[in-house]
Amino acid sequence: MTTRRIVVVQAGLGQPSTTRLLAERLANAFEDALLERGEETEVTFVDLREHAHDLANTLLTGFATGRLREALDAVRDADAVIAVTPVFQASYSGLFKTFVDVLDDGALRGTPVLMAATAGTARHSLVLEHAMRPMFAYLKAITVPTGVFAASEDWGTGGTVDTGLSNRITVAAAELADLVTGGGGRAAKASNAPQVDEFADPVPFEDLLAR
Amino acid sequence: MQFGIFTVGDLTQDPTTGTTISENQRIKNTVELARHVEQVGLDVFATGEHHNPPFVPSSPTTTLGFIAAQTDKLLLSTSTTLITTNDPVKIAEDYATLQHLADGRVDLMMGRGNTGPVYPWFGKDIRDGIPLAIENYALLRRLWTEDVVTWEGKYRTPLQSFTATPRPLDGIPPFVWHGSIRSTEIAEQAAYYGDGFFHNNIFWPMSHTRQMVALYRRRFEHYGHGSADQAIVGLGGQVFMRANSQDAVREFRPYFDNAPVYGHGPSLEEFSRETPLTVGSPEQVIERYAAMADSVGDYQRQLFLLDHAGLPHQAVMEQVEILGTQVVPELRKIAAARKPAHVPDAPTHASRLAAAAANAETHSTQDLEEVSR
Repeated sequence: MTTRRIVVVQAGLGQPSTTRLLAERLANAFEDALLERGEETEVTFVDLREHAHDLANTLLTGFATGRLREALDAVRDADAVIAVTPVFQASYSGLFKTFVDVLDDGALRGTPVLMAATAGTARHSLVLEHAMRPMFAYLKAITVPTGVFAASEDWGTGGTVDTGLSNRITVAAAELADLVTGGGGRAAKASNAPQVDEFADPVPFEDLLAR
Repeated sequence: MQFGIFTVGDLTQDPTTGTTISENQRIKNTVELARHVEQVGLDVFATGEHHNPPFVPSSPTTTLGFIAAQTDKLLLSTSTTLITTNDPVKIAEDYATLQHLADGRVDLMMGRGNTGPVYPWFGKDIRDGIPLAIENYALLRRLWTEDVVTWEGKYRTPLQSFTATPRPLDGIPPFVWHGSIRSTEIAEQAAYYGDGFFHNNIFWPMSHTRQMVALYRRRFEHYGHGSADQAIVGLGGQVFMRANSQDAVREFRPYFDNAPVYGHGPSLEEFSRETPLTVGSPEQVIERYAAMADSVGDYQRQLFLLDHAGLPHQAVMEQVEILGTQVVPELRKIAAARKPAHVPDAPTHASRLAAAAANAETHSTQDLEEVSR
């Protein structure tokens, strides 16, 4: 059985955090969707709260070390990424963006990505389309059509729980599973990714001189 | 193995007193520092080149010429000479002149400079950094090795029948190192010419330094200059020492915490773990730096950054003293004991002159044999 490596990057800060809850729901739904397609999943969670200091240090020193380095490598090597952020001041959180800022060039090129966000009000729901999707487009990631947004009311209003969120999670996870198993992302990843290891294979000096 | 000091020449407020010395004082201190470097038995003094505050060394050959007049053995170098924004013609002339004045005690380290706004001040564009470094250095080599140069390129006015004066001392141009932290193209350039490669690793983890040096060594061999372990490698270093390591940490911490480059970021302890920064006793410094060769192979030059982040001149002079009397003698012994015979020392004017003479003798002997046949 094929095993797909999936990395869940989530920028929730609280304990418990709805962002983390949503991330777990999405990861579980994705696992189920892959199982239906006869494949297994290996899930790695990157909880950005744990890397907050290292992220600030990386901005200042220019290099990532230790566990943050491992997280960056995991994202680069992932078959798919689920990215979940809280909405702060009408956009993804600064912590989330800082992680994106220190990703290696080309790290997400061709990678299927499921975007999700949480907020206190549904008025922020277009953050997915106005902030996250353009950013992932710039990174040349392949975003699934359905982004998952969860506002406070999606977690229950004291009465009945709207099934809308569950449906969106299922749909988005299925879209991501189709992309991953269909190879939609990997073709782009293989052909476009800067796979050249510049340390192993530098540009010959004659070529540099001739430029 | 050569040991020395490299200065960035920053004019930084002392965070413990709030005072900033004058440019005049900083420049005079730099000269005194260089003299002290020679007095305590270190080999090399190198100065940076910057054209923006808070830095003072914009005119390296003026300062190095002044130091040359006050020293006898000290090797004068740069860290780095801006091969991108300087006219290669002026570099050729300035450093050939310095060579004559200093009786050959001169080499250079080429660098690109990573301060964006500086490039347009000199009519250049930072996006051309690598091509500038390649074209300008190719021209510089010709200006030093060919008496009459006719040249045309992308980045400067063409030259017709041009002779750079004075010619290099004894016809031997200064030895050149290429400094680069991240650009593999520069390691490749150094390897292509068989020049030295200096990795200024002071803000970087050894895992990265190892990769860059390994690439340079492999390509040095590829281009036929010798085996990989014979390539000429230099490393940066950063230390602060007191007899008692806790005293060193206590004294250095405010300077670290407020330093222009890494201040307000990682802790002193984190940064010491990830980079060559060593704050402690002379013994700790010896142990750390003796192990560098385990990562990059036997190397030829180790330069230390000491005078930065607003550290008082007196403290810097004491650091040079400790380095020269307690640390470097031990590091020399350790390096000499582990270096195989076929690994060369860093080239000097004297060694290159001797090599050229030996080479000429071989050729003239061959000529004679051919004539007698």
